[in-house]
Amino acid sequence: MPYNPGDDVVLVQRGPSPGGAGGAYRAFGETLRGLKQTFQRLTEGTKTIQYPEEKVPVYPRFRGRHKLHRFEDTGLEKCVGCSLCAAACPVDCIRVVADENTPENRVSAGERYAAVYEINMSRCIFCGYCEIACPFDAITLGHDYELSDYNRSDLIFTKEMLMAEPLDRTPLRTAGE
Amino acid sequence: MSIEQRPTVPTIDYREMEKSVELSSIAHEENEELLTLNMGPHHPATHGVLRLLCTLEGEIVRDIKPIIGYVHTGIEKICEDKKYWGVVNAVDRMDYLSYYFNEMAYCGAVETLIDLEIPQRAQYLRVIHLELNRIMSHLVWLGTSALDLGAMSMFFYCFRDREEIVDLFEMSSGQRMHPRYIQPGGVFEDIPLGFAEKLRGFCKRMPTRVDEFEELLDRNEIVLQRLRNVGVVDEQTLLDLGVTGPLLRAAGNPWDLRKAHPYSSYDHFDFRIPVGTIGDNYDRYRVRMQEMRESVRIIEQALEGLPEGPWVAANRKYVLPPRHELATSMEALIHHFKLVTEGFRPPPGEVYYAIEQPRGELGCFVRSDGSSKPARLHMRDPSFVNLQALRPMVKDLYVADLIATLAMLDPVLGGIDR
Ligand code: SF4
Ligand code: SF4
Repeated sequence: MPYNPGDDVVLVQRGPSPGGAGGAYRAFGETLRGLKQTFQRLTEGTKTIQYPEEKVPVYPRFRGRHKLHRFEDTGLEKCVGCSLCAAACPVDCIRVVADENTPENRVSAGERYAAVYEINMSRCIFCGYCEIACPFDAITLGHDYELSDYNRSDLIFTKEMLMAEPLDRTPLRTAGE
Repeated sequence: MSIEQRPTVPTIDYREMEKSVELSSIAHEENEELLTLNMGPHHPATHGVLRLLCTLEGEIVRDIKPIIGYVHTGIEKICEDKKYWGVVNAVDRMDYLSYYFNEMAYCGAVETLIDLEIPQRAQYLRVIHLELNRIMSHLVWLGTSALDLGAMSMFFYCFRDREEIVDLFEMSSGQRMHPRYIQPGGVFEDIPLGFAEKLRGFCKRMPTRVDEFEELLDRNEIVLQRLRNVGVVDEQTLLDLGVTGPLLRAAGNPWDLRKAHPYSSYDHFDFRIPVGTIGDNYDRYRVRMQEMRESVRIIEQALEGLPEGPWVAANRKYVLPPRHELATSMEALIHHFKLVTEGFRPPPGEVYYAIEQPRGELGCFVRSDGSSKPARLHMRDPSFVNLQALRPMVKDLYVADLIATLAMLDPVLGGIDR
């Protein structure tokens, strides 16, 4: 069947031909009309945000710096070192080395725990796949986006850094906002 | 393998590469002086890292050769090394102004490959985000093009409105750019509380904003002088070059994949296709402005008729089980493990899935060899094809008009080079 959009096609208007007497009129008249439009925008107020002093609040779903979680009651780590997050990560920036929990040294709730857990933040694209992959909600993406540093090696976040409470630098919006 | 045995990587000398660029020969008249001028790759008016080799006679462009490849990132190759699930992140980053379209084309191709039924709600959510993305892309085009024509304030107005859209993106998907919202089987998350309200407010404001833009530009004498009857290319030439999208519609051909081959429930919505008459820059401008209005209409209809239900298909073979099931069902946990570590394996075969992007037909070709990674992934990017039309457009125009025409062509270099 040949394609026939029928009535759904609308022809766009052609503007007037440039130049001539109309052109001379438009050079003033239309420019003034445009200026009116521009001056009307004055009433809108400023939209610029003075960034480092003023910060845009992020939405709850915003994906920023990661956080590793603990169980609140027992204080044990939620991460069991299963490496699912590392398998899901599309840029391979997570490194997990698991170790066995022993009765004397109990770190996580499961059989094993993550002895090494590193995320290379200079590679991370903040896709959130690690969060989706983790079956135990051990890792989530937080709201902090100011992660720049002077050294690349400082951007490899260790387990201690990921466990620590992130600095409250970024304001958060409420869901309805 | 010892070092000697290793195959040597062919080194290409930069100078040699330069020499390989052919300039088509133009017959020299006796007293004619031709000048070859290099524009770009770092020229603010080329809208990206595009290099244009212009052959000028005085101020008139006699020949032009776009040289591309400065932001080549090899994403297509990267995709061959990712699980079907993870490719979404990579294709996102191709055309950086229409990321939802990249995701949609890829996911559509994979869904056709595995023959997966997409729930209605997911289709509507996709449409909402695609059309928002179309408006956003057109706003960036309008702002930067108007800047090229000398209208500085347009740039700020357009980016003010774009901000509202990327805000909505952040609200629903978590990221302003490269959102990773569409996944094979549906979308990753339902829209959050308050999203619909905000979107309704935006849909109310946007048409008046377009009116304001038109009041500023439509009959402005400078805009008319720079755009009207400039860069005219007839429909047949465009068709021969394979040009699609607003460029083709401006020449009077109402080809729009949303109507011609409806995907993702586009046939449920009532919208019109704006077309131009002669295909000059002014028509291109008007067609895109009108498209923004139509997109708002589609969003409003999709939001009105948004059906209840799941936002992702329930097929456990291809889609991750919902999170709450992980704690209770062993079976769900096994599916989850298998999908995350291994991914799914579509049957061997190949598909081409095309959608209408802000710049034209975006097609995704996926070939599967039965493994969990695509054997080949290729994107037919509209900017790449449309760039071929630059030469017929700007031939025998002034250099200043070349800038205006390139702006109206709206190429996105991330999509061209991939
Ligand atoms: S957010 Fe994405 S890229 Fe970053 S660590 Fe997680 S999975 Fe890897
Ligand atoms: S963070 Fe989650 S997915 Fe990653 S190793 Fe720990 S438990 Fe496994």
